Amino acid sequence: MKRTLYDYRRSSDPTWSSRTFAIVLLILFSSTLSPTIANTFSEAPTSPLQQTVTGTVTDETNTPLPGVNVLIKGSTVGTATDADGRYSIAVPDANSVLVFSFIGYVTQEVPVGGQSQINVQLLTDVQTLSEVVVVGYGTQKRSDLTGSVGQVSGEEVLQRPVTNVLQGLQGRVAGVNVFLNSGSPTASPRVVIRGMGTINSSSGPLYVVDGVVMEDIAFLNPYDIESMEVLKDASSTAIYGARGANGVILITTKRGAKSEGLVVGYDGFVSLGTLRKKMDVMNAEEWLSVVERGFANSPKYNPNENPVFTKTDPNLFDANGNPLYDTDWQEEATRTAVSHNHQISVQSMTSKSSLGTFLNYSRSEGIMLNSWLERVNGKIAYDVKPTDWLSMGMNMLINVTKENAIEEGGGGQVPRRTMIEMPPIFPVKFPDGTWSNSQMLSDPYLLEAMANPVHMLKTEDRLRDRTQIFGNVYFTFHLAPGLDLKTQFGFDKHDRLFRRYAPDDLINISANQGGVAEIENQNVLYWQEETFLSYNKEFDEHRINAVLGLSWQERTYSQNYQYAEGFTDNFMKYHNIEAAARPGAPSSDHDRWALNSYFLRGGYTFRDKYIITLTGRVDGSSRFGANNKYGFFPSAGIGWMISNEPFLSDIPALNALKLRASYGVTGNTEIPTYQSLATISSGTTLLNGVRMPSSNVTRLPNPDLSWEKTKQFDIGFELAMFNERVSLEFDYYRKLTTDLLLDRPVPNSTGFSGVRDNIGEVSNRGIEVLLNTLNVSRSNFTWQSTLNFNYNKNRIEKLGENDEDIFYGPFWVTGSQTVFRVGEPISSFWGYERYGVWGTGETPPAGVLPGQAKRSEEPTIIGKGIPSWTGSFINTLRYNDFDLTLDLQFVFDVDIMQQYFHSVEDRSGIANGLRTILQGWTPENQNTMIQEIRHQGYGGQDSQVDSHWITDGSYLRVNQISLGYNFNSGLLERTGLGSMRIYASVQNAFVFHSDDFKGYDPEATSWGEQWTQNIFFFQYPKPRTYTLGVSLRF
Amino acid sequence: MKLRYIVILLFPAVLISSCDDFLKEEPLDEFSVDQYFSDPDHAYSAVNGLYRSGATTMYEGGVYSGTPMMFVQYMTGLFDNEYRGQEVHIQRAQQLTLDGLNTAGYIDNIWSNLYQGVSRANNAITNIPNVPDLPGDERDRLLGEARFFRALSYFQLVRMFGPVPLVTEPVTSLDDIYKERSSVEDVYNLIVEDLRFGLEQAGLSTAHMSDNESRITQGAVAVLLADVYLTMAGFPLQQTERYADAATIARNLINGQYGAYALEQHGATPAESAYNKIRRSDVSPEYIYYREYEAGISNSPYPRWTYPVALVKETQYDITNGAYQPEPELLNVYDPDDDLRMQNKQFFHWSLDTPNGEVNFQITPYIWHDDAALFAGPATSSKDVAIYTYPDALLIAAEAIAQSEGVTPEAINYLAQVRGRGYWELGVAGVESTLNGLSVQDFVEEVWTERIRELIFEFRTWFDIQRTRKYPVTDENNPGEVTYVDVVGHTNPLGSTYAERHLLFPISENERQRNPALGENNPGY
Repeated sequence: MKRTLYDYRRSSDPTWSSRTFAIVLLILFSSTLSPTIANTFSEAPTSPLQQTVTGTVTDETNTPLPGVNVLIKGSTVGTATDADGRYSIAVPDANSVLVFSFIGYVTQEVPVGGQSQINVQLLTDVQTLSEVVVVGYGTQKRSDLTGSVGQVSGEEVLQRPVTNVLQGLQGRVAGVNVFLNSGSPTASPRVVIRGMGTINSSSGPLYVVDGVVMEDIAFLNPYDIESMEVLKDASSTAIYGARGANGVILITTKRGAKSEGLVVGYDGFVSLGTLRKKMDVMNAEEWLSVVERGFANSPKYNPNENPVFTKTDPNLFDANGNPLYDTDWQEEATRTAVSHNHQISVQSMTSKSSLGTFLNYSRSEGIMLNSWLERVNGKIAYDVKPTDWLSMGMNMLINVTKENAIEEGGGGQVPRRTMIEMPPIFPVKFPDGTWSNSQMLSDPYLLEAMANPVHMLKTEDRLRDRTQIFGNVYFTFHLAPGLDLKTQFGFDKHDRLFRRYAPDDLINISANQGGVAEIENQNVLYWQEETFLSYNKEFDEHRINAVLGLSWQERTYSQNYQYAEGFTDNFMKYHNIEAAARPGAPSSDHDRWALNSYFLRGGYTFRDKYIITLTGRVDGSSRFGANNKYGFFPSAGIGWMISNEPFLSDIPALNALKLRASYGVTGNTEIPTYQSLATISSGTTLLNGVRMPSSNVTRLPNPDLSWEKTKQFDIGFELAMFNERVSLEFDYYRKLTTDLLLDRPVPNSTGFSGVRDNIGEVSNRGIEVLLNTLNVSRSNFTWQSTLNFNYNKNRIEKLGENDEDIFYGPFWVTGSQTVFRVGEPISSFWGYERYGVWGTGETPPAGVLPGQAKRSEEPTIIGKGIPSWTGSFINTLRYNDFDLTLDLQFVFDVDIMQQYFHSVEDRSGIANGLRTILQGWTPENQNTMIQEIRHQGYGGQDSQVDSHWITDGSYLRVNQISLGYNFNSGLLERTGLGSMRIYASVQNAFVFHSDDFKGYDPEATSWGEQWTQNIFFFQYPKPRTYTLGVSLRF
Repeated sequence: MKLRYIVILLFPAVLISSCDDFLKEEPLDEFSVDQYFSDPDHAYSAVNGLYRSGATTMYEGGVYSGTPMMFVQYMTGLFDNEYRGQEVHIQRAQQLTLDGLNTAGYIDNIWSNLYQGVSRANNAITNIPNVPDLPGDERDRLLGEARFFRALSYFQLVRMFGPVPLVTEPVTSLDDIYKERSSVEDVYNLIVEDLRFGLEQAGLSTAHMSDNESRITQGAVAVLLADVYLTMAGFPLQQTERYADAATIARNLINGQYGAYALEQHGATPAESAYNKIRRSDVSPEYIYYREYEAGISNSPYPRWTYPVALVKETQYDITNGAYQPEPELLNVYDPDDDLRMQNKQFFHWSLDTPNGEVNFQITPYIWHDDAALFAGPATSSKDVAIYTYPDALLIAAEAIAQSEGVTPEAINYLAQVRGRGYWELGVAGVESTLNGLSVQDFVEEVWTERIRELIFEFRTWFDIQRTRKYPVTDENNPGEVTYVDVVGHTNPLGSTYAERHLLFPISENERQRNPALGENNPGY
């Protein structure tokens, strides 16, 4: 029996050790910056025969652009602009043409024609068809792509002040759903690309950072990101074979400077988070009226009970029975959260090497008391080309995170629940300094046992410390022009320490146990070695891009856990766990998987018009059964640049039109290890007063176990018009996932509930649209819009042999709240229909009285948790040196299961609840959905998952409003700064949703499984955040 | 340039040379199946695991939901749970509205827990004979224990669900997993065979279970076998010759053949009554087979059920719940004047002295009351919970003898021993005099009544109704008097009328989907 801790927290101040770490990193910095290293490689001399051209490159607002590539067309000679946007390049003759290119801007070609100074203004590129994009194991020209690849630049990720990369990704790429399910700084969003194609395996995409697979992407520093590429269709993901089925997100991090010299930058922001809205709960007077009415109605439901309502406790009521306190627990349990983030970057470049060093410190506070995340990130990237046949480099990233997490799962008496349900008649502390709890009342209200939320937030620790060391070393051998052999060793190491202490006075949490301490250690070591040949060559009208390689990957995991209860005081906590009277059985765990793969991709473009890409990967995985160790994942894609055909070339408005289509197979191996084997689980059991060894067979073996296969067809087009001021990308896809890794239900009479097997099919069909427009483009004013949306239809096509319904939970109140059923989408809600409330003239079934809910006889499907439509609409306006961003996000055709209706509406009297209870059924008010008030403790309750709990989950969120100011270069010259930008923004400013939704935010889940989206009990509220930030370059 | 080629050629050569073991899967935190049962310790650990899985999980449950054994009792309509509004399975049982769909989740749990017990026992029974170096006497004892647990699981299954699939070998592959239902008779035959082995060939100890390292004893096997025979003699099998078998086993048990057991006797005061002695002891000498608890390893949930929700703040517990509240119609089986069991703070309690005076509450079980856990803290209880007790054996003997040999003095004495302890002023002899001259039917009904009274915390009432097809009707004007009517067609105190189908639970629709070979659900569902 393994026990795993999910979240932890704390109260002591961790900054000291973070500071130490920061100092160490700073020392590291200064040493890497020493000129002896930076100048190791001397610069190449300029030939006197050549002519030198200089100039400045700016953007539309005349802001100098550093890092712009300046290339002599038809050669490999090039340079890049410096921090002030200036460049200098030697050109062979006056016929040369200079090509200025920069990610996010339209590439310009300028004939030299004898000029010695050429100043260029680059226009923002809406459609970057001519740019190079990162694909699996290499790069490709965007125009040569046959697959569907979404691109997000580092700047776009940081347009919102984020501390989590995935928050920056939200709404940026059509077809990529980022669910921000919590307002806690310690929670991480969930990402689903093109619908959920799996039930039991992970539905998250594969994250590849600089060519190395990374787990726990949540802790990557967003400021380290240069660009993100989202691979969505089979043509682009098949190169990742058995791990590509959920899509792949390639992240390229920043490295050295792009031009010779040194750039030092600072980025920082401070933000304030506030509670955006409150749930509408009753005040003391209203709540007492509900208790009183509940007492009065009790005999109707339970003839044995005839309680007498009193208000006599002198600690809570005055002599007239008026409550002494009227506590707003939502106010008390939350705060204005102050967060800040600082990034220093030092990037340099010489002719043969470049070095980038980055340091980030951030502290994010949550709006619930005592929840926080503190992180220090250091990164060093070094690239060098010591000889003409070898390039090499390394990248190293260290990440230290400490956090105090709030419990966000399940249905216990934890603060996110008690801040709603703690009755308002109690104070946070009584005048004598003792914390209140719901049992400190002498009147017979039979309150549900709960510690008050402030008490719990301030005294329970749920600490999680993480250290990650991630990086790679690579060597590229330039074998022949266009032919490279690259070998790269990468690693991802995680050390995690989770600790919890719950003191001995938190009732219904840890009081019965006399205090609870838990300690868990986890260690992960992942490594990969990949070696591949790549060939990129242009011959006249032919362009070839090919990759051939092999890969080894291995991940080992170990864990140990200790639980203890029964502490004589709350001082030593987990620091001295042996002081506990009753230690639990210790536990430990080990796990390993390995992959061995071979891959191949060939791309061919003819006359810049006809494009074909063929990809294949062979993966062998230890996780699969002995009979199925290796799988083959092929794909093919074709593209046709119609706009390059003569018959379209005379339409001046048309800049580019490309049709593309792809088909392929990818896999999903993300199942727990050892699932194909029957193993014996060993543990202990109570026998004769002690723990005795016990063991049992864990599961049925399945040597045929194989990966999930996703067949995906994609067809789309990319269109650019009116000088690329309008660009449109459209995709239609069909995905069919077969051989789902499911617990195939077997008769329970076998002693097992299921066997992990390849059964079931799920389909996803949908469209994706990305429309970029440059609505206004004047020298001092531009307005640019990005609209993207995705429609996805998810359907379960097949389940087990008999297509049995599968109930995987969450199991809560009346059994599983979801059903997997053929013909229905994943995440279908399961419950009864509520038609209303039984009236006095009606005859309800036995055991039911007028005033109780009128429900359907049998449960049925009453909603779904995954939206059909998701999208965003982002507008950026620039006026002179000002810029304004308005970022809207929407989802449509989705439902929410408000599980809290169980305890804050269907049940009353023993805890606080929604004010809607006051409108409940009475003989005079029968036309209502809300049941009659009855005191749960005396009169019982009638609470089952039903359609009254379900509401439309569609919403429109004003995600961000941001105003920035760029100091113009004249002003900056006097200060010695290269560039400076300040900005102010509001995040999560407004959310428009159904009136029937009574919670904080319409996007959440209280349950860990991926099909439990939008099923929640209580939420960690998502704050409205005000941010002030600055960005400097020296 | 040379270096360049050497390096370039070397890399692929090193990397392509693969090692075969790289993709081999070998768990380090679990045994693989072929490593199992290679050592005598494995045999022990496989059997140890049976003590808290399978049939005994019927005695385990959450504070709100109660245990599956309580669920069985809710079918009588004579017991209530304060959390029934939230725990729908309780309402379904009380109102007799349960079917294979609306109670599927709860019934699935019972079914799968019991079959998990069967499966683990099968694994032990099949493999233990082949464990090397395991001495023969140890092997037989372990087999006896494993077969006891398999029998107990099947006994629960057959009483709850009627004909069920009979799985007697470990399932190790997907071949042949769709088993049809076997007849009730075949299930009972396996139960008897297993228990006969335990009693006659396993060499189990005759010590009290608490003196036998809390392992299964001959006494435990015997009392279960006696109960099985008694049940076989009733509905649905009606093998009336089994009364004699039940009588033999129970009589031998009482006579000490399987170990020495005796009734707890009263002390001088009500607080020292036999019932309070039992309540205060961790394990009573009267327990023949029980489920163990130990604070810090496995805490007993039962003290939480000794106070209604309302009284929680008087205790150390954060939640209490009247999960097993007897209805007045049940309490009327006791004579409140003469029967000690119906006095406050014996079997039940209804008042508590607090600093603010005496608080009264709805009648709630007292037998599970753990003073230390409830009042001194920490709220962790080690008290073991009875599954089979000596009074059970006496009452089985009384009924079985009456049915097979007539109302003999021996039968009368066995009943009188149990009743006489309750009617403490009347005493055993006094009770005997009231029982003399009864017809077999009248005497047997007296035994049934006594079973309701005495075995209320062993959850026998509904199983007795199933077996006898008679429902106990009490009279509030004449408490202690019970008449028996046909259960089918009878309306219980909650207003629910029994039909034939209610005598079995439905098979869950989930399980029917999983195993098409199960065929039709139980008749009426």
